[in-house]
Amino acid sequence: MCGLCAVLMSEEGWSDASVTAVDQGGRTRRHERLHRVALANRVLRHYRVKLSDWNGVSYVVNGQTGQSVIVSSIAAVWPAVERLRGQVIDPLDERLIEALEAADA
Amino acid sequence: MSDRTPVNVITGFLGSGKTTLLQRMLGAPQLARTAVLINEFGEVGLDHLLVQRVEESLVLLQSGCICCSMRGDLSGALRDLLGRREREDIPPFDRVVVETTGLADPGSILNTLLHEPVVRHHYRLGNVITTVDAVNARLHLSANPEGIKQIACADRLLVTKTDLAPPELSREVQHVLAKLNPAAEILDAQEDSFDIERLLAATGSERQRRSIESDGTGQSVAFRPHMDSVSSFSLVLDEPLDWTAFGIWLSLLLNRHGNDVLRVKGILRVQGSEAPVFINAVQHIVHPPMHLPAWPTDDRRSRIVFITRGMDHVLMRRSLEAFCRTPVGELVVA
Repeated sequence: MCGLCAVLMSEEGWSDASVTAVDQGGRTRRHERLHRVALANRVLRHYRVKLSDWNGVSYVVNGQTGQSVIVSSIAAVWPAVERLRGQVIDPLDERLIEALEAADA
Repeated sequence: MSDRTPVNVITGFLGSGKTTLLQRMLGAPQLARTAVLINEFGEVGLDHLLVQRVEESLVLLQSGCICCSMRGDLSGALRDLLGRREREDIPPFDRVVVETTGLADPGSILNTLLHEPVVRHHYRLGNVITTVDAVNARLHLSANPEGIKQIACADRLLVTKTDLAPPELSREVQHVLAKLNPAAEILDAQEDSFDIERLLAATGSERQRRSIESDGTGQSVAFRPHMDSVSSFSLVLDEPLDWTAFGIWLSLLLNRHGNDVLRVKGILRVQGSEAPVFINAVQHIVHPPMHLPAWPTDDRRSRIVFITRGMDHVLMRRSLEAFCRTPVGELVVA
């Protein structure tokens, strides 16, 4: 079973779907995946966790204490981080929003 | 994807006119080449329409429609139909209509359509139709506050029994429905222009809901207690969206607040694609995003409708802006 099929099979696979067309200036799948990891890390750095891509098939969530978890989709990253860190990630948390806004300022 | 058979889901409270709608559909010529899955034959009364009883749970009707009783097993019934179609035991069908039970959470049907291994490869969601009884809507909602979900997940809201309700009550019901779910098209089952094909037509390219004339009374006090914390709003974005960033934001939002985000439905202009992207989610269930063949109007801005329960719209807008690094142009409250 190829990596692409594994992604599509999961309930959360929508979060890894690509909607851009390469011939219209869209990214290649690999480039898009790295972009996804970078954007996720923009959020995760505030929780002292780092995400990396694993062979274009899975993602590895690395905690500061050396713990790591492998997940198959971006949507699965968040509950994994919450379990690892024992804290919730809320996109409506004003402190998180302020931190993102400040990082961009 | 275009090879998959579309499935229309019909939901609504017991007594909301769902059965009447089914009876009307089963006798209609537009239902030729359609397989209709209902719970039990006895509920609908098909005898006068029957052409052939293929077996106990499967009959062929005069309209050319295939009718099956599911007895609660949707995925089994859908798989069975596939096999029979392949073996040519039944006439070919290119559409399926599924009736839910009165109290069913349509989410579980959507879940089957999207995630059951065999079903998801051969079927796709057409649209969700929710029947609402103009006479008893208030009563139904008070007895079943969870029924809000059936209204929130609808693509078409069919208001029934408007001939039995005072005109101002029908208007009030339609007004409340429009505010609750601006992403749904509202149809009146009693109107001469009511058209079954339009009811069943695939979702995704709907025009804006027709504007509801203001009757000057504002939000109905009678409905308020049951819907106080449920409200809808739309976000409009002038700039093309980074789809990857949006996916991260939405997956985070639903992970934390999925129970209270009753619906997300929108057409997005995304970076790197000329074609619009259609996004559709019911609480935690997210349909795979899909490209639409064309923009529905000349307005090429992203427009996303949210139906939420007890959530801060302004904060959601600010959050989307921060995550996607794009200004959100307008927040339109329904």
